[in-house]
Amino acid sequence: MDLNFSKEDLAFRDEVKEFLDKEYPKHIKQKMENGDELSREEIVEWHKCVAKKGWMGHSWPVEHGGTGWDATKVYIYLRELALAGCPTFVPFGLQMVAPVIWTFGSDEQKKKFLPRILNFDDWWCQGYSEPGSGSDLASLKCKAVREGDEYVINGQKTWTTLGQHADWIFVLVRTDDSGKKQEGITFILVDMKTPGVEVKPIITIDGDHEVNEVWFDNVRVPAENIVGEEGQGWTYAKFLLFHERSSIAGAPQMRRAINKLKNKAKNVYHGSEPLSEDKNFLSKVAQFELDLDALEMTELRGLAAMREGKSPGAESSLLKIKGTELQQRISTLAVEVSGHDAMPYGGPYGFSDVEVAATKDAQLSAPKYLNFRKVTIYGGTNEIQKNIIAKAVLGI
Amino acid sequence: MNLSYTDEQNLLRDSVSKFCSSDYDFETRMKSVDSESGYNPEHWKLFAELGWLAIPFSEELGGLDGNNVDLSLIFEEFGKSIIVEPYLANVVLSGGILKRGDLESKTQILEELISGTKQISLANYEPNKGYNLDNVDCEISSDGVVNGTKNTVLNAPNADFFIVFGRQGSGYAFALIPKDASGLEVVGYKTYDGFVSGDLKLNNCKAEAVFSSKNALEILDETIQDAIVCICSEAIGAMEKCYKLTIEYTQQREQFGQSLSKFQALQHRMVDMFMETEFTKSFLLKVLATEDVSEKTKLIYGLKNQVAKAGKKVGEEAVQLHGGMGVTQEMSVGHYLKRLMVISHLFGSSDYFLDKYIDS
Repeated sequence: MDLNFSKEDLAFRDEVKEFLDKEYPKHIKQKMENGDELSREEIVEWHKCVAKKGWMGHSWPVEHGGTGWDATKVYIYLRELALAGCPTFVPFGLQMVAPVIWTFGSDEQKKKFLPRILNFDDWWCQGYSEPGSGSDLASLKCKAVREGDEYVINGQKTWTTLGQHADWIFVLVRTDDSGKKQEGITFILVDMKTPGVEVKPIITIDGDHEVNEVWFDNVRVPAENIVGEEGQGWTYAKFLLFHERSSIAGAPQMRRAINKLKNKAKNVYHGSEPLSEDKNFLSKVAQFELDLDALEMTELRGLAAMREGKSPGAESSLLKIKGTELQQRISTLAVEVSGHDAMPYGGPYGFSDVEVAATKDAQLSAPKYLNFRKVTIYGGTNEIQKNIIAKAVLGI
Repeated sequence: MNLSYTDEQNLLRDSVSKFCSSDYDFETRMKSVDSESGYNPEHWKLFAELGWLAIPFSEELGGLDGNNVDLSLIFEEFGKSIIVEPYLANVVLSGGILKRGDLESKTQILEELISGTKQISLANYEPNKGYNLDNVDCEISSDGVVNGTKNTVLNAPNADFFIVFGRQGSGYAFALIPKDASGLEVVGYKTYDGFVSGDLKLNNCKAEAVFSSKNALEILDETIQDAIVCICSEAIGAMEKCYKLTIEYTQQREQFGQSLSKFQALQHRMVDMFMETEFTKSFLLKVLATEDVSEKTKLIYGLKNQVAKAGKKVGEEAVQLHGGMGVTQEMSVGHYLKRLMVISHLFGSSDYFLDKYIDS
């Protein structure tokens, strides 16, 4: 056992660095550094740039276009991307619906959807939660009724992230309500352009439009778009959630963020001294870095297991809880470092029309802090994750 | 020892509480927040008519001779409805400087403030300079010319006058500057809690008057201490509202066939929120009941440390227990968190005040 990279790994790291140096679009890099909002086109451009290199499928099996990297390479790859400040991949196609399709989907579905996901030709979004079904997801009511070769969907989904940009949505619908609530759920793929699909924005406390309600009014979907068997959707839904949860820990991004904060603290006053010399601050940073080390190693263990063909299981809940807690801690620390300069609010991406004296970094710290309140709620609240660990890991 | 409020104070609390609960629901608040000026002038007029703007001033200055306890209970009630009307900026901060300072025209200008006809903002903090009150670059020359940059000047866009704190020679002074003075540029903005604030760019700006050049820093320090007690009281009101809103929501919201409030893990979290609020309230009472000035100062630093941590925790828990709804703009609970978060770093962070507590 050792933590050193092999020669081959180091060469791979250089290859990733070189790719980013040359191919990571400069205008996107600049916007990411400024904390500016990326347009839909720019997000697509970034994904296409990675797809062109053939590196989108870092977590995919080789037969569907995956890179076939071992855990170390995946780790190196994601870490370099994060350190270079690249946008995170939109996970709904790549990391969520794709594993469901290649595991449970038909050959036609695999052929139709997987290459387009890998190439980011389609933008996917998620239709899981409903106003009355959050933590208790299995109580969902959005209804699909079979009529000939079609299903007719009626109902509402909510918290659909970036649904305003999406081409496709995977939806959990109720096709039968006669039995237990987990039975009678079906996993169905819906083209967002189908008549009757309506996306309505939800504005969050940071002022951003990221999540949406998605309404279905007599939406007719070809029956071939259900994944697996009718009524078995809950099994696929849980399988997907494990994948979702294992992809939101975000350790490399936090590594970059804490380094940035440490630097910033050198130029910020704490009383009459620089904040970087304050014992309270240093101890918060140290505790954060220690926790981050432990998170990163836990993530690596998970990656290694995945490469050995094990699907991420309930253990992904550990990563979700710890990762999101740390994300919130660092977003809080960023507000503290910014002090009163965190107060001016020019929207979730800063001011576009007036020049204010506080740095943009400082101004953005509060919206980011507020935005990050969601992370302990989405993907299954952290309270639910603890229930899962208690039941599925500890067996109590 | 006496820990109860006087009859007069209870009457004042009832009157503020009545306004907040019957005339200031969440929608009314958000109308003020979303308006151009960020507050409702009708409310401001009402505050003046009810005498609230006169409370902390002596009778000879046209005030009602109120004290910290009066202010504290007003702010606690304000906190329950997260009132955005600029009471802190005008009455506590600018009023606090003026009543202590030696500005010649102070009786007249305070009269305008108390009657609600003029608004005044205090400009002391500067960008990237931290919280130490003496850490300023702004210069006030001996003939009253002011140069420098101020930021997060509370209520700046609505101010008719600014009181600018700056260096003068080897000491400090205040400059009174009308909003339309030449050499003054005001950049107004909202702050993330829905209040309004602004930057001042002062470029050879001629002040209308310069005052308190002997003890400006002491006056500023005392005024900020008053303001800390006020925002800590406000935080306590907001915290109380946070746990109450959370109890109400978890009782209504059903998942897994029962209301969320029936889950023991969540009950314990709400008990913790309640306890944080109660212990913070006790600490506030200790501050209010302490007479010795230096002991009181030390305790105010301790209070701010406590409020910064407890307010943030209670606000965050309230949002978390509201689930997805908690992070939406349409629910009030997130707005309480925003205000509690601003209060946690306004005038200094929890760590900053912990150090001040240790050092004093």
